[in-house]
Amino acid sequence: MERHCSYAGIWHNRKAGKIMLYVKDLYKSYQVGRVKYSVLKGIGFHVAQGEFVAVMGPSGSGKTTLLNCISCYIPFDDGSIMVGGVKLAGQDEDALAKIRNTKLGFVFQDFMLLDGLTIRENILVPRIVQGKVEKDAEQLAARLADMFGIGHILDKYPAEVSGGEKQRAAVARSLINRPMVILADEPTGNLDSKSSRIVIETFIEAKQKMEATIFMVTHDSFAASFCDRVILLKDGTIYRQVEKEGSQREFQDKLLDAIREMSD
Amino acid sequence: MTEMHNMKGMERKLQKADRKHSRLYLICNFIALMIISAFSALMCSKTVQTVFPQGGDSRKQMYAIFVMTLAGCVVFTIYAVGLFFRHKSRQLGVLMAIGASRRMLLPGLFREVFFLSSLSAATGILAGFPFVGIIWGLFRLLLVDSAEMALYLDFRCLYISGAFFLLVVAGACFTAWRYLKKTNIMEVIREEHINEPVKQLGRWCGPAGFLLILAGGVMGYKAPVVWMRLCSSYPPSWLSVLYVPVFVGLYMVMLHTVVHGWKMQNKTRYKDIISRGMMKFQGRQTVNNMLVITLLIAGAAFAIFYLPMGTLSSLLGYRAYACDYFYQYRADQKIPERGAIEELARQHHLSLKDWKEAGYITLGAGGEIEVSDGGGRFHIEYEVLGGEVKVISEDAWYTLTGHRADVLPGTYLYVTNTEETSIYTDETAEDLTNMVTGSHIDTEFAGFLHYDLMAGEIGYYVLDNEEYRRMSQGLTDEWRGRIVQFNADGKDSYPFASELYRLFVDSFDESCEQTCAYDRVVKIRENEKGRTYWMDTELGDEFKISFDQTDSMMFKTQWAYKPSFRILLINDYLRMTGVLYMMFFFVFIVCLTTALVICNTRCRTIALNNRYIFDDLKKLGAPPDFLNREVNKQCSSVFITPALVGMTTMYILFAGIVYGNDGKISSYEVIALGVCLGILILMGAVVYIVYRSTVRTIKRHLLQEQS
Repeated sequence: MERHCSYAGIWHNRKAGKIMLYVKDLYKSYQVGRVKYSVLKGIGFHVAQGEFVAVMGPSGSGKTTLLNCISCYIPFDDGSIMVGGVKLAGQDEDALAKIRNTKLGFVFQDFMLLDGLTIRENILVPRIVQGKVEKDAEQLAARLADMFGIGHILDKYPAEVSGGEKQRAAVARSLINRPMVILADEPTGNLDSKSSRIVIETFIEAKQKMEATIFMVTHDSFAASFCDRVILLKDGTIYRQVEKEGSQREFQDKLLDAIREMSD
Repeated sequence: MTEMHNMKGMERKLQKADRKHSRLYLICNFIALMIISAFSALMCSKTVQTVFPQGGDSRKQMYAIFVMTLAGCVVFTIYAVGLFFRHKSRQLGVLMAIGASRRMLLPGLFREVFFLSSLSAATGILAGFPFVGIIWGLFRLLLVDSAEMALYLDFRCLYISGAFFLLVVAGACFTAWRYLKKTNIMEVIREEHINEPVKQLGRWCGPAGFLLILAGGVMGYKAPVVWMRLCSSYPPSWLSVLYVPVFVGLYMVMLHTVVHGWKMQNKTRYKDIISRGMMKFQGRQTVNNMLVITLLIAGAAFAIFYLPMGTLSSLLGYRAYACDYFYQYRADQKIPERGAIEELARQHHLSLKDWKEAGYITLGAGGEIEVSDGGGRFHIEYEVLGGEVKVISEDAWYTLTGHRADVLPGTYLYVTNTEETSIYTDETAEDLTNMVTGSHIDTEFAGFLHYDLMAGEIGYYVLDNEEYRRMSQGLTDEWRGRIVQFNADGKDSYPFASELYRLFVDSFDESCEQTCAYDRVVKIRENEKGRTYWMDTELGDEFKISFDQTDSMMFKTQWAYKPSFRILLINDYLRMTGVLYMMFFFVFIVCLTTALVICNTRCRTIALNNRYIFDDLKKLGAPPDFLNREVNKQCSSVFITPALVGMTTMYILFAGIVYGNDGKISSYEVIALGVCLGILILMGAVVYIVYRSTVRTIKRHLLQEQS
């Protein structure tokens, strides 16, 4: 069993294809008054194309901070992050915005749809930000909506649809620019179990049909049990990685054992 | 299919969807600009500038309240723009998160805030003019109208509104730029939910705040007097800094209200925990807003107190005069004689009675005066020619009043009003000098006599008959005069009084075109010393009066020979002082309106920001009554504490000023203070009505949100 595994360890033990997300020796701390709190203490891993990876860990373990650093939402202190072969450190604001727009897709816990736009328009927002919406983008939006079962609500506003539908619209939005990695922050956190399952199935569909690479932060062992691999974080370091073996139910049990072990 | 193909189209659609928040921002800016525009338009108008004496207290007070209102409106617009961006930030954050660069968002955002701020500010400025026109027109229609009340605007007031316009637009654009400069995108997204907790002080901060208000008020008020006594120099303007503890104290009182509340802690610790918690975490803005509201309410109270204090004291005073007609004139002036006046009265079907006449003389009186040493310093010196006084004999006193006065040789009695509030002698006069022959007598102050009609800026002294005769010898007519008084037999006639006034004023020559501040004795003294009397220099220009404007307030109240015709004074008083009082009435309306608008907006923001908490409480089983109570508690803190503190502080301060003016509170002032108290109760009722209406609106909105 690997404990506190190094980046090199993961690299050599993986037999994945093209690396889409590469994180090495990542450090991040917050200054509160005169006290400096280290949140990430040398994290390293990678995610290959088409892989669905989850990050789990107790509150304060650094999950969301890790995701925010990868998303270029907050700067990090030290280390390296590469998305599709492009290094994030040293990029200026415009370049980082372009990476967010073209190489990354985002799904948030509270959906983050724009209330003033219809579901169709929300799905198209990353394309609008990119420049102009052409016919092909509108067709892709319709295809994604059909694929995720929200084709019938395309002309409705977020306030008029359910939480599950909002989150599926958010997944469709994250895919509209065919990004290299989808970053999802607790995507099922605000949903009931039925809607959670539908959203997770949406991710799996995206992975299977569009070869999407998904990196998801979650508290939910049920949602994580659909992933190919789960990274367990504890106190800002990788405690352990658990690879999927057997059925989804068996993997969930294995995950729960690992979490229990981590808590001891 | 979507109609929205690019950034511009998307921004347009989002702006359309954000109408609610834009509208709030537009309204806040519009109201602030309208108030500043209207206030500055009236303040700079020829109407007000002509009536308010240059360098006078009323003008300084008007400017002080304007600065306070301006500060309030600045805080309010900053708050409004902050509020607008708190709602906007989520949208900006989401767009940034999915790859919109700041460079991409900047033009659209600038366009939007520039359009909203300049539109609201420009329409606010324009609306200020009809606003002031309508209010002033209503005053003229319903309250008081005179030629002086005609409104002549001076459009230089637009400099003030223009500067405020630039401040609002620049402030909005700067805030937009500041939001886009934020490096932490998650912070931008969650801005709406970020709390702004206020620094918490212990429960001592409220009582300590009240002590600071009291200490600051006393120190600020007394400091100039103490400074003059200790340093023998005029107080520097920076001494006003001693008032600062008042503002610190007010802040601490508001902080206490937000953080702890004023109920006994043990009884309400858990009862108020939710409402107190909600307020605490938006405390910074709430405390700032409450401070501004307190100052505006205090400003409104101060302005409205002017009306009863000025009008009641004067009108009740006129009614208490011992006779209907009283005037005095110099012997070298050709004033209509008794026969002519009685003939005029007959023409008005009026007969006169109780006609009494007595002579007076004007002498130089010694006294302690401040002599400037330059550089703001001075020393006290006794001058034999300290200033001019009017002197009558014991017999003249008896003729006019019907009372005997026994004045011992070598002493004088000073005539003051019944309340002894009109005292212009410092009781240090030791000499009286005949200004023609130069003869003088040693004398000393021996007490007061009371006669309202003879009390005033140039006081009357009563001398022993023999000393009066001696001092009169050799005086020319310009130093002699006569006092005349009489009553109307039956109902008095306004047209008679009016015509007599005109006749009286027209009888004087240019040598009498002076205010009562012009002292002929001081002029002689200064000229003898080879100096120019300051009233004859440019400094004295602002105190000049003219026989061409005999109906002006300045002439009627400041002329050295102003007559007291009771029916004229009572009927013309409001017309004469209309501009002054209506200006303060307008200030009252403006300050109170601004305060109530800020109260309303702040309460709605607290409720809007906490709507999730209300929703959660409902889900946790809180009954509607409980939720209503929580809304009431929050709104009452914002409305009631500033109103109570502002009104009470100003009432105490005003009573202190009234007392400080002459060291006592007259019976008229007691009545006026009673009326002020009544006005405060009415003000409180208006605040309460707006409070109830705000609470109702908030409850309706929360209900809509939850459904």
